[in-house]
Amino acid sequence: MVMEIGIVLDASRLARAPLETVELARLAEERGLDLVVVADEATGRSAGLDPWTAAVWLAGSTSRIAIGAPAGAATTPDPTDPEAPYPSVITKAQDSIDILAQGRIISDPSGWVVAPRGAKPEELASLAEADLPVVVPVDSREDVERLAALAAGRDHQGGVRRRSTAVRAQRKPNIDYDGVPASLADTAVEPGDPPYRSLSSTYLRGGAPGLVLRPRTPAEVSDAIEFARRHRHLPLGIRSAGHGISGRSTNQGGLVIDVGAMNTIRVVDPARRLVRIGPGATWKQVAAALTPHGWALGSGDYGGVGVGGLATAAGIGLLSRNHGLTIDHLRSVDLVLADGRQVQASREHNPELFWAVRGAGANFGIATSFEFEVDEVGEVGWAQLVLLSTDIEQSLRRYAELASSAPRDTTVFFVTGQPREGMSTIQLFAVVDNPDPDTVVARLTPFLELGTLARQQVVMTPYSGVMGNAADVGPNGQQGFGEPNSRSAFLPAATPEFAHDAAAMLRSGGVYFFELRAMGGAIADIAAGEASFTHRTPAFQLTAMGQNNQRLNAVWEPMRPHSDGLYLSFETDRSPERLLDAFPAPVLERLRTLKRRYDPDNLFRDNFNIDPQTTKEPRA
Amino acid sequence: MTDYGHDLLFGTFITPAAQRARQVVDLAVTADRAGLDLVSFQDHPYQASFLDTSTLLAFAAARTERIHLNANVTSLPLRPPAVLARAAASLDILSGGRFELGIGAGAFWDGIAAMGGRRLSAAQGVTALREGIEIIREIWDTTISGEVNYDGQYYSVNGARRGPRPAHDIPVWVGAYKPKMLALTGAVADGWLPSIEYLPRGADSIPELNALIDGAAHDAGRDPAAVRRLMNFMNVQLSSAPRGLLNGPPAAWVDQIVDLALRHGISAFIIGGDDPSITQRFGAEIAPAVREAVERERTPAR
Repeated sequence: MVMEIGIVLDASRLARAPLETVELARLAEERGLDLVVVADEATGRSAGLDPWTAAVWLAGSTSRIAIGAPAGAATTPDPTDPEAPYPSVITKAQDSIDILAQGRIISDPSGWVVAPRGAKPEELASLAEADLPVVVPVDSREDVERLAALAAGRDHQGGVRRRSTAVRAQRKPNIDYDGVPASLADTAVEPGDPPYRSLSSTYLRGGAPGLVLRPRTPAEVSDAIEFARRHRHLPLGIRSAGHGISGRSTNQGGLVIDVGAMNTIRVVDPARRLVRIGPGATWKQVAAALTPHGWALGSGDYGGVGVGGLATAAGIGLLSRNHGLTIDHLRSVDLVLADGRQVQASREHNPELFWAVRGAGANFGIATSFEFEVDEVGEVGWAQLVLLSTDIEQSLRRYAELASSAPRDTTVFFVTGQPREGMSTIQLFAVVDNPDPDTVVARLTPFLELGTLARQQVVMTPYSGVMGNAADVGPNGQQGFGEPNSRSAFLPAATPEFAHDAAAMLRSGGVYFFELRAMGGAIADIAAGEASFTHRTPAFQLTAMGQNNQRLNAVWEPMRPHSDGLYLSFETDRSPERLLDAFPAPVLERLRTLKRRYDPDNLFRDNFNIDPQTTKEPRA
Repeated sequence: MTDYGHDLLFGTFITPAAQRARQVVDLAVTADRAGLDLVSFQDHPYQASFLDTSTLLAFAAARTERIHLNANVTSLPLRPPAVLARAAASLDILSGGRFELGIGAGAFWDGIAAMGGRRLSAAQGVTALREGIEIIREIWDTTISGEVNYDGQYYSVNGARRGPRPAHDIPVWVGAYKPKMLALTGAVADGWLPSIEYLPRGADSIPELNALIDGAAHDAGRDPAAVRRLMNFMNVQLSSAPRGLLNGPPAAWVDQIVDLALRHGISAFIIGGDDPSITQRFGAEIAPAVREAVERERTPAR
């Protein structure tokens, strides 16, 4: 028999010190206790807190733990009695909290047993024989911790993790929770579990998956895929670190396979600078691990991004003009395919799959390990500049000229938003891959004419100092909410007409974030046929984000004539014609042929899906 | 020119759709983070597709940090006044004084009757509301000893316990359109909370309705400035060209709101539409600009 343990909070304490008392409920939740009950002991002259309001407040203040709410007293409706609530309204309130708190409210007062304050473990065990949760009155954090310690022993019984009734109440009917493979049962997270909130959302997108599977080995990834195959009716997100702008690594009510635990970084051949990296590592961790060797592997522009998502898309970053895309350094990748098979893809083994994974990886499998050949990279100049411009069109035009004609050791990204009262704030993120500070200054100086310098930070640092800009994701996980709206495009050349139209788009207010990533240099050294990511020759990658998708589409429209293709990592539009922007028709055709071979039933379908069954390509 | 001199409030009016419960709460959080002052929900217990407003208010209050909350407006016929007073005071205590009471006499009597409520005529409803407000304030007032005894036409109670006492003086804002309701508002309420779409001639009706409230306040020996004038705007749109009231570019919104504040004494602007991006810009761009302009106009020239 499983003992469920909870706490009782005193209503008058809650009224006196609401914040501190709510903290006790949150602590109980954090420590894995099962239930919070507010005792309605109003004995004073004046009435105490309304018990229903208090219970709802606690439900809103917590996310997992069950809340015991007193059932409304059965009253006969009497419109003349100001103290008699309507039963129909009480029922509606109960239905509503069921929706809002997702089944966490227990409104049957005989749903728990109250133990005396400071009850001994034996007393609790004996009370638990009624097979109801046992709740104990608490006054302090110490009281909660004592109970938590007592409860800690009972969480794994017979090797199987137990879940309380309140947690199980939040299960989705269309997921076979009890059928989670044994290898994954211990690390799987359901909506009611303590870590759930930290795993449900991504960097920019809110989500509420029905189950998160967290494999630690390729074999466990196979198990997870097998489970996913039995749940083809659900969305399936694959997550490395959950930073992806498009937010495809979460969903509503579906499955997420989170490979975050597979994050080792290991040098396998120092002479050839071969490094094996797990998909769950972040680029900040990778950079930090490579710095002691005097090496670096270019990634994007943010250290919090995970390896898996970026290394299967392209990796257009601050070292790309000098060192190429991240995928250009990939020598081999281990994958688990839709049928659960573990395979290696490289130039020698499964070369077609190797081609496909470098650009369209999300359609073909779950990467479990990457082998990269990294570069020797010494100290670089790392600059973050803020400039103010009264003529954003001119600034864009000048930036584009400077950034594309700069030596390839110099990569400068340009970020701006809506001009405020005619004034645009421009942020420049620049890496000069040159150890000489004077050269760094010389390379950056021309960019100062883009506006009035408002802030500058220029340092000489290893690449790990560049990736170190990312804040670590704390124990609360990614906290995005709502749906991000982002458009991406490749710009073959930045023309004056582009600058004019981009300035108009920015002034419209429909875009709050607009970035140009300078490309060229080493990116274009590689032939377009090398990988399924084929956009080798654009001058820039553009990203625009807006609050309102419809509005964003409207203001983005003038960008289309200037652009050719898109980078799928920064695109949230899921309409099928975007596929042809990501993959030109011949590339898409080849990918589709491979998709038929490697994922004929279209298990991996949630991220720029290449449907194996479609024969006709969407119109561009 | 009528300006009652209240500090300005900016808020949202969110549809409490049960189907989209998560987004409803997210919208409240968005309003909170956008720096708005108020988030409000309509109260129609007989509307099956809506969440229970009292429950939603308490849940949203727990999920937000700074913003104040109110029903817009509570349907008194289905919310017995002592029950309502205690729930309101409890939420005010728990939220650190962030609850305000919007209240109305009730509409949609068929729905009210279907929920077991009592059907009243418009005139009866006004009297019942006056009694309800008196009982609510009695329950909140714990400075008086002794129980609440009340013998009204529509409500009566013997020996109701007082309390709990709210964390702050919860203002009572009344949704009113007709002369009797406006008179009640002027006589006893702390605020007037209508929707501009329901005023007979839109903003042009405000002077005469304000005058009715002011007159009733005078008759009751009150300063008309004791009654804050709030306004809901259900149909709003941010667009590039000015098309109408709160339908146009932000600068036009600012001008229109400043005009309503300085010329009509409206001091709280509550927008509908359930659009997070409008909510954000309302808080980040429009509200600060309005505050600045109104402040400038109110400061006597030196």
